[in-house]
Amino acid sequence: MRKKLRENLIAYTFCAPAYIVFTVFLFIPIVWVVILSFKEFSIITFNSAEFVGLKNYTKLLKDQVFLRSILNTLYFTILYVPGNTILGLIFALLLNKPFKGRNFFRLALFIPNIISMVVVSIIWSLIFSSSTTGIANKLLVTLHLKPIEWLSDYRYALIAVGIVLIWSGFGYRMLIFLAGLQNIPDELYEAAALDGASKWQITFKITLPLLRPTTFFVITTSLINSFQVFTPIYIMTGGGPGYSTTTIVNYLYTKGFSEFQMGYASAISVILLIIIMVLTFIQRKIGREDLIF
Amino acid sequence: MRRQNRWALLVKYILVIPACAFTLLPLLWVIVRSIEPDTGIESYSFMPRAITFDNYSAAWNYPRVIDEDVTLGTMLLNSLFVAITVTIVSILFDSMAGYALARKNFWGKKILFWLALSTLMIPFYTVAIPMYIIVIRMGMYDSLSSLIVPFTASGFGVFMFRQAFLSIPLDFEQAARVDGANDFFIYWRIMLPMVKPTIATMIVFKVLWSWGQFFWPLLVIQDYSKMPINLGLAMFRGHNITRWGLLCAGMVVATIPILIVFLMCQKWYVEGLSGGLKG
Repeated sequence: MRKKLRENLIAYTFCAPAYIVFTVFLFIPIVWVVILSFKEFSIITFNSAEFVGLKNYTKLLKDQVFLRSILNTLYFTILYVPGNTILGLIFALLLNKPFKGRNFFRLALFIPNIISMVVVSIIWSLIFSSSTTGIANKLLVTLHLKPIEWLSDYRYALIAVGIVLIWSGFGYRMLIFLAGLQNIPDELYEAAALDGASKWQITFKITLPLLRPTTFFVITTSLINSFQVFTPIYIMTGGGPGYSTTTIVNYLYTKGFSEFQMGYASAISVILLIIIMVLTFIQRKIGREDLIF
Repeated sequence: MRRQNRWALLVKYILVIPACAFTLLPLLWVIVRSIEPDTGIESYSFMPRAITFDNYSAAWNYPRVIDEDVTLGTMLLNSLFVAITVTIVSILFDSMAGYALARKNFWGKKILFWLALSTLMIPFYTVAIPMYIIVIRMGMYDSLSSLIVPFTASGFGVFMFRQAFLSIPLDFEQAARVDGANDFFIYWRIMLPMVKPTIATMIVFKVLWSWGQFFWPLLVIQDYSKMPINLGLAMFRGHNITRWGLLCAGMVVATIPILIVFLMCQKWYVEGLSGGLKG
C-alpha cells in the first residue's frame, strides 16, 4: 500500500510541471472563453463585465462582416487545400525514387516551410507590391500582360494570399506524402511489375489507393490550418480591401484587440473552436485506423 | 525500357526545376537585395549591382529612430532567448510527463494521457482572449516571460516522448533498479539518453514554432526592447516601406538561426514528421 502511494506520488511529481502549464494556459482558458462569450466587456471594464446571455451570438449571426469572414475563409480553403495537396502529391511522386539531384530538389521545395510566416509575408508583399514596382507585375509586363493591383484589388487579394500559402506550404505536404510512400511495401511494386503493369497502372492502382490515409491526413490538416490563417493577411492586406480578405481569426483580432469588444471576440473564438473541433473529430474518426494525428 | 526511363527522367526535370525556381527565386531575390546598396529604387535583377554589407550594419542598428537603445540586434537576441528557453524547458517538462505516462502505473493515468491529447485539439487563437487576461493578471504583460511561460509544455511533446519511452525495453530500467537507482536517476541518466532522436526532433519543432510566433507577441508585447525579431520586422515594414535593402537584410538575419537549426537536425525532423504520422 505504502509502495503504491509512493509510485503515485513519483508519477504525479513527473507530470506536475506540464499539467500545471496545461491547466493555467489551456484548460482554464478554454472553459473561460465560453463564459466570456456570454459577457460584454473590454479589458479595462473587465471587473464590471456584464452578463448578456446569447446577445453576442445573435449579433454575430447578423454581422455581415463576420459572415463575410466565414465565406472568405471557405473561398480561401478552396484555393489552398487542393493546391497544397495536389502539388504536394505530384512532387512526392516525382521525388520518391532516387535520381540525380533528388535530395537538393526535396530541400529546395521544402525550404519555404521553415521560414517564418512573417518573413514569408513581407517577402511576398514586396513581390506583389503595386502595379509599377512589384516583381510579380514586372513578370506580367514582360509576358505582355496587364499589371494587376495584387493586394489592393478585391478580386485578386485573396488569390495573392493563396499563392503565398501554397508557396510556403506544399513542400511540407510533399514531405508527408514522401513518408506515406515509404510505408508502401516494395513487394507490391515488384509483384505488379512481374504481372506486367505499366507505370500509370502502378501509380493509379497501387500507389494512390494505398496513399489514401496520408491524403486524408493532408487534406484534413490543411483544412484545419486554413481556418486559422492570420499572419499573411495581417501583414499583406490587413484584411482589405474592404473586408475582402478578412478571415475569421483576423476578425477575431480586430474585434478583440483593436476595438476591444472582448466578449464579442470571445463568441467568435467559440465558433472557431466549434468549427475546428468538428474538423478534428472528422479527421480522428475516419482516419483513426491508420493515423494518430 | 531504358529509353522510357530516360524520358521519365526528362519529364521529372522539366516539372521539378521550375518548381524549385518558384520556391527559391523569391529567396534569392531577397538575398541579392540585402547585399547591394539600398538606393530606395526597386530592383528586379538577380545579380547585385554592387556588393556591400551596409544594409546589415544598418539593420543591426535599427530602429534607433524610435528608441535610442533598441535595435534589430536586440530583437534578434530576444527571439534567441525565447526560443532557447522555451525549447529547453518544454522538452524537460514534456519528457518528464511522457516518462510517467509511459513507465509508471498510477491512478488517473488514462485521464492525464487523454488530457494531453486533447490539448492538440485546442487551436491557440481560440484561447487567446482568456490567456491575454491571465498573462496581464500574472504581471507578465509586455515582458519576455509572457512569450515563454505559457509555452513550457505541449501535448504534442508529451505524446512524442511517451511514444519514445514506451519503445525502450524494460530490462534497462530493471537492471538500474536492482542496482538501487531511483526514478529520477533512471529518467535522467538512462531513459533520456536513449531517446536522443526524439529530443532532436522536438528541438526542431519547438525552435521553429517559437521562432515563428507572431499573433501572440503582437498581443502582449508593446515595448520595442522586448520584441522578438519577427514582430520587429513587421513593425519596421509598417514604418519604413521604402528602405527595402535594410528590410531584406533584417529578414535574412532573422532566418539564418532557424536555417542552421533545421539543417543540423534535418534528418530527425523528417523522421519525426513520419513518426508522428505512424504514431
